[in-house]
Amino acid sequence: MNQKLVNILLVEDDEVDVMNVKRAFSKNNIMNPLFVAGNGIEALEMLENQIIPLPKIIILDINMPKMNGIEFLKIMREKEKLKNISVFVMTTSNEDTDKINAYNLNVAGYILKPLSFEKFLTSVATLKNFWQLCEM
Amino acid sequence: MEKSQQDCQEELAALKKEFDDFVYIVSHDIKSPMRAIANIATWIEEDLSNGLTQDVTSNFELLKNRVNRLENMMNGLLELSRVERAELEFYCVNIPKMMSSCFDLYRNNHVEFTLDTTIVTENFITLGAKFQKVILGLLDNAVRFNDKEQIKIRVTILESDDEFTIEITDNGPGIPEEVVPKIFSIFYTVNSKDVVNTTGAGLAISCKILKLVGGKLKYTAGISNGSIFTLNWPKNIILKN
Repeated sequence: MNQKLVNILLVEDDEVDVMNVKRAFSKNNIMNPLFVAGNGIEALEMLENQIIPLPKIIILDINMPKMNGIEFLKIMREKEKLKNISVFVMTTSNEDTDKINAYNLNVAGYILKPLSFEKFLTSVATLKNFWQLCEM
Repeated sequence: MEKSQQDCQEELAALKKEFDDFVYIVSHDIKSPMRAIANIATWIEEDLSNGLTQDVTSNFELLKNRVNRLENMMNGLLELSRVERAELEFYCVNIPKMMSSCFDLYRNNHVEFTLDTTIVTENFITLGAKFQKVILGLLDNAVRFNDKEQIKIRVTILESDDEFTIEITDNGPGIPEEVVPKIFSIFYTVNSKDVVNTTGAGLAISCKILKLVGGKLKYTAGISNGSIFTLNWPKNIILKN
């Protein structure tokens, strides 16, 4: 059963947000292997040099230093090996332009980072259903 | 050397933009540490769940409530900074229809609405989202701050050649005379924010919208208590730039 779980890569620069995702995963009994990259450049390095097994799902922050989420998405979608990965954007930005930019690059979902952990738990629980479909 | 009027105008426009950008960036970037505080408080509370005294639990509640308030204030600031940039679509608004859909939102709050209107032009093309935002904001205030068992709100709409005048009268407590000049400032609330949960951003945002469209918003005290907000909304709006 375990080997069927898909890998997930989280691209996020804020330590607390990383903890937030980890905590929400364990609360929702999500056992998928989770890898973390601190920004777009780091994530590309990990993916291209196969430092981590190729993930099926990427959770992506937008506002990050060095290379932000949208820049990362653009580069990723041009690469044959990476372009089919499902990407969920997770950000504080409720700006229409950020959402449109993300959807133009074919993202599977746009998660607004809510203030309360309880609300975040609910979002993650919804995603879990989708991820389980990916595992079939 | 004296600056030409055009130079001054350009400088003013640049300053305004810089100010809006500043408010936007500040309120946006402050959100992530704010969220971190809220999250970490929840985790600590969860991790200690068994050994919490009543005092500690209620302090955690206070902590989360205040972070929540901070978020609402930040959202208010963000909205204020975006008044001139967001929701600038012109579309056709049917005034009576819009009013009744606004009234419908309060159907469960036991509010008695009266609509008094003699307008001839029922449909007009305007910045619809902004128009509705101002009306809803005023109705919301009239309900939220009302202290009566039976809330009564009267809306009067008059039409002239170039504008609509909308008067919203409520049977609430009214606003003490000495604080009236302050009510349009951002975050100002007549009572402590602990009494009525509000950020005090609404009227400041409405005022900025009216400035944008070339309208007016004013407060007068009702005859027997209560508040009257009078709003002048021009039929033709010319946006600069």
